[in-house]
Amino acid sequence: MSETYDFLFKFLVIGSAGAGKSCILHQFIESKFKQDSSHTIGVEFGSKVVSVGGKSVKLQIWDTAGQERFRSVTRSYYRGAAGALLVYDITSRETYNALTNWLTDARTLASPNIVIILVGNKKDLEAEREVTFMEASRFAQENELMFLETSALTGENVEETFLKCARQILTKIESGELDPERMGSGIQYGDASLRRLQRQQQTTKRPDCGC
Amino acid sequence: MAASEIKRKFRNLLGGKQEPVQSPIEENFSHEQFSREAAVTKAKNQRPRNPHEEQEIFEAIEEAYYNNESFDTSEFELKKVPEVLDLEKIEDDGTTLRQQLQVVSKKVSELVLQNHPAYAAELQRVMELQKALQLASIICANGRRQLTIARESFTAASLGLLANYKKRQQLVGLLKSLRTIKTLQRTDLRLKEMMEEEDYCGAIQLCLECQKAASIFRHYKCISELNSKLQDTFEMIEEQLDVALSKTCLNFDVDHYEKVQTAYRLLGKTQTAMDQLHMHFTSAIHNTAFQIVLGYVELCSGTGSTNFQKRQYSDLCMHISIESFTPCLIDLCKALWGVMKSYYRTMAWHDIHDEEAVADTEGSGNIEATFNRCYIKQKLEHGLVRIWQDVQQKVKTYILGTDLSEFKLEGFIQVLDLVNRMIEIGEEFCKSKSEGLQDSLKQQSLNYFRNHHRARMDELRMFLENEGWELCPVKSSFQIMQLMEFRFMRNLVHSSQASDKGVQLNSSSPSHHSKYFERYATEGNPFETQQEEEENEDVWAGTGNEDDSDSDSDIPDVLKQDFIDEITGETHSNRQPKRKYSRTRSYQKNVPIVTNTSLNVFRVIGKYMQMMTVLKPIAFDVMTCMAQLLDYYLYTVYIFFGAESSITEEKTVNNRLWVTLQRIQENMIAESPVPGAPPLEVEDRRDKVSQPHISPIVNLISSDKLYGLAERIVAAESLVFLGEQLELLEPHLEILIPPNRKAFLQQFYSQTVKMATELRKPVYWSVTGQSVDYDNVLQHMNTVRWDVKDIMSQHNSYVDHLLMSFQNFGVRLSEVGRRVPIPKAVYDTLWEHCVRLANRTFVDGYANAKKCSNEGRALMQLDFQQFLSKLEKLVDIKPIPEREYVEMYIKAYYLPESQLELWLQDHKEYSNKHLLALINTVDHINKKGRQRLIGLVEELERYRR
Repeated sequence: MSETYDFLFKFLVIGSAGAGKSCILHQFIESKFKQDSSHTIGVEFGSKVVSVGGKSVKLQIWDTAGQERFRSVTRSYYRGAAGALLVYDITSRETYNALTNWLTDARTLASPNIVIILVGNKKDLEAEREVTFMEASRFAQENELMFLETSALTGENVEETFLKCARQILTKIESGELDPERMGSGIQYGDASLRRLQRQQQTTKRPDCGC
Repeated sequence: MAASEIKRKFRNLLGGKQEPVQSPIEENFSHEQFSREAAVTKAKNQRPRNPHEEQEIFEAIEEAYYNNESFDTSEFELKKVPEVLDLEKIEDDGTTLRQQLQVVSKKVSELVLQNHPAYAAELQRVMELQKALQLASIICANGRRQLTIARESFTAASLGLLANYKKRQQLVGLLKSLRTIKTLQRTDLRLKEMMEEEDYCGAIQLCLECQKAASIFRHYKCISELNSKLQDTFEMIEEQLDVALSKTCLNFDVDHYEKVQTAYRLLGKTQTAMDQLHMHFTSAIHNTAFQIVLGYVELCSGTGSTNFQKRQYSDLCMHISIESFTPCLIDLCKALWGVMKSYYRTMAWHDIHDEEAVADTEGSGNIEATFNRCYIKQKLEHGLVRIWQDVQQKVKTYILGTDLSEFKLEGFIQVLDLVNRMIEIGEEFCKSKSEGLQDSLKQQSLNYFRNHHRARMDELRMFLENEGWELCPVKSSFQIMQLMEFRFMRNLVHSSQASDKGVQLNSSSPSHHSKYFERYATEGNPFETQQEEEENEDVWAGTGNEDDSDSDSDIPDVLKQDFIDEITGETHSNRQPKRKYSRTRSYQKNVPIVTNTSLNVFRVIGKYMQMMTVLKPIAFDVMTCMAQLLDYYLYTVYIFFGAESSITEEKTVNNRLWVTLQRIQENMIAESPVPGAPPLEVEDRRDKVSQPHISPIVNLISSDKLYGLAERIVAAESLVFLGEQLELLEPHLEILIPPNRKAFLQQFYSQTVKMATELRKPVYWSVTGQSVDYDNVLQHMNTVRWDVKDIMSQHNSYVDHLLMSFQNFGVRLSEVGRRVPIPKAVYDTLWEHCVRLANRTFVDGYANAKKCSNEGRALMQLDFQQFLSKLEKLVDIKPIPEREYVEMYIKAYYLPESQLELWLQDHKEYSNKHLLALINTVDHINKKGRQRLIGLVEELERYRR
């Protein structure tokens, strides 16, 4: 009965309170908008198997509380995350301004190789927009982030966000930039046979590696 | 008499009556007869006589001559002749006789002459008459002849006429018949029309009439054909009627059914109709189910070439895709509900109408009607069970056809709800317990739940492995019941309060029952209004659109106020904690300590409890799984924080806790795969979870952080809080599980929940053991001389050293207390253990004294008293644990030999080494006595082993 997958990626959803992190996750997993959503306590968890580049990847997503008081609780989940969704609310400049702090946190607490995608949520509220696409796009470029604007309400770009992030990680694995075997990479092999195969390759390549 | 009459007549005739006598004899006289009388006439002429003489002679004629016409005169005269013949006499007689003859002849002739003209006239008339008669005869003959002719010509004609007329009449009749026959033939068309109009009753009546009419014309040859045709039509009508009857199964319509029933009554086949109806229902159930499932299967398979038409129903059910399972189930239920409703309404109809029908009919018909009614009633009642069995079978097959374990919880619960609804309908329908459906529910639920649980356990392990054992800030009044997942419990409590009996809120409450067939009698479908109803019942409020990430609405508000005031004191300063606590006491009271993981466990427990309310049949299985959650959490806390201390100090883990931990390890924890060993059987690993590994982020080594005391507190106390919350749930759980499983619940509470606090010792004691350097104190003690000769007034420095360490520990404890609230119990545990260890160090140290004087013993007391008095200021525990342990050991020194002997036997808490040291240091016992006591202790030691 257990799901079969090639990789398991540990994902993180971070960003200021009220940016819509839980709603994005809910939309991604349940394919529907969560109406009466309230602040997340601590962390919540969700997982989904997606197909990326011909590989099935299980995403293990930790949805963190955005509220400041949960910072100490949530920080332990940063460790070993392979990818992160850095979410802000396009209708709230405050959440946009906090991005730098979040980014620093992510880069320091998680692995430095973490793949981060900047997500401007609440795209559907165009009338109340406070952060332009261009501005955020520039910020993303400067910080070497991927960028997408989403709407957890309509579901627009929600799945793409996760897929894009996963695809990037997969590319990095293939290029050797990321090593799934390394501790705290946030990546695990799903299939035992695949792992064995990989291990054999590794041992032939690097006989001194004793794992 | 006759003779005298003739004589008189004759006399009258001869007596001179001249009037003609028209005797019939005389009329017949013919001329010839008269002419033959010549002889008499001759005699008359012989002797003419005078009239007197003649009269006399005539008078003399003997009477006898008149007597008889056939009188033989000769014989008469001869008889008169006497025997002696006398010629004279004879002669005389002869003469007289002659005379007499003459007279008579004369008289006759006279008479003839006298009557001759009359005779002639008479004759003349006779002649005339004859002539007239001849004429009449001719006329008559003519008439007759003519009559004959007339008769001959007239009768034949009229007879012909009559015959023709008769023929005509017959033909008219025939024509009529033929017309009727023609009509009869035409009726066929009309019958078909009527059939289209669904006027079965009329059609049957008409047909029956036709048949009756036809039977009248049986003698016609064509009729037999017509008859057979009518028979065919009749059969066709019956077939049509059957079809019409079958329509009832899918959609009961009163008018339609009434028509059909009347028609059947007309046919006198109400019973057959019933049998037929049941057959239709059975096939309707089968066909509907098949069609619906087939529809969905074909829809899902797309343009696949496989032909599903020929498949078996059960086979089809296997091809339903997960996405289409629920809509198909809804449709299936709806359709089957339709059939059942039709049946139900059919019964209702019969209830009303048959009674009427019986009341209507009277006399002999009544008995039959009553019998009929009984039959129908019985049949229908038996049918209920059969129909439900069929429906149940279809639904069961469908449900079991798909593996639902991949379903989302809400989706699965929806399925359950649908099936439960079906079961309720079944109960209302025929009081069935629906074992089949219950079984399938149980089977699927169990399968689903196992799968679900496995995922939850994996998730739990993941949570634990990622857990930083940081305190998750929740409001001080936080309770498990405030979580969204437990919202249903509030309704439960409400409902039990409302309905005094404490029955848990489940749709099986009687008020909810026997409503389906009434509520949806005319329109609507119980499987349509589902969402709405769910919300009304509020059992599932929260689950319909609720998910992991949905948090409690109550919490955030309160968090903003309570939490900040009590715990942080500041609003946004968590990053660089500058929290200040109550100065002297570094422990907090009644603060719920929750971790992300335990919060998750709460949520899962909430969901499991919801499942228990819905999945009644597997409530107990859910309960055992729920127990596993706590087991695993407990085990993990032990493995992460308590295991290392239990290796060094066996006493920290008490026996019951040890048993519990062993049980958990054996039952739940998958053995960690040995490198190189073949992977474990999947089956074996299925219900087991591998042992978690503590997140590398957690530092349990740093002495600055008191060996991860903060994390330890969060871990152990979150477990304790989990246990406390579970104890609150006990009464609720007790309601949810079957009564015969109560023992398990008690066992769970005594073996796992109650063990939560027991885990404090192993978790905290490794901290206290490492935080204070007792060995250092012991070394200090070893340098002290105990064989002093003076009573000392100053305590030794090792006491200060120890107290310093304690103070130091206290400072660091309060530092930790800034990060996490330290409950009183934890504070006590920690200090108690510190003091215990200190006391042991005291005893160890004192036992190390090679020599000891009375004064030295007093110094020991002084030191210990100093320690105690300072300790009181430092920590807040009373009584000081194991205080006697030290004091008794010190004071034992003073005991005389005999009492010491008893004391040694009574105090097993001291080690052999302690006792031997004591004996060796005591200086008021002689060598012999000392030897004896040593021997005793060594003997005791042997016993102890």
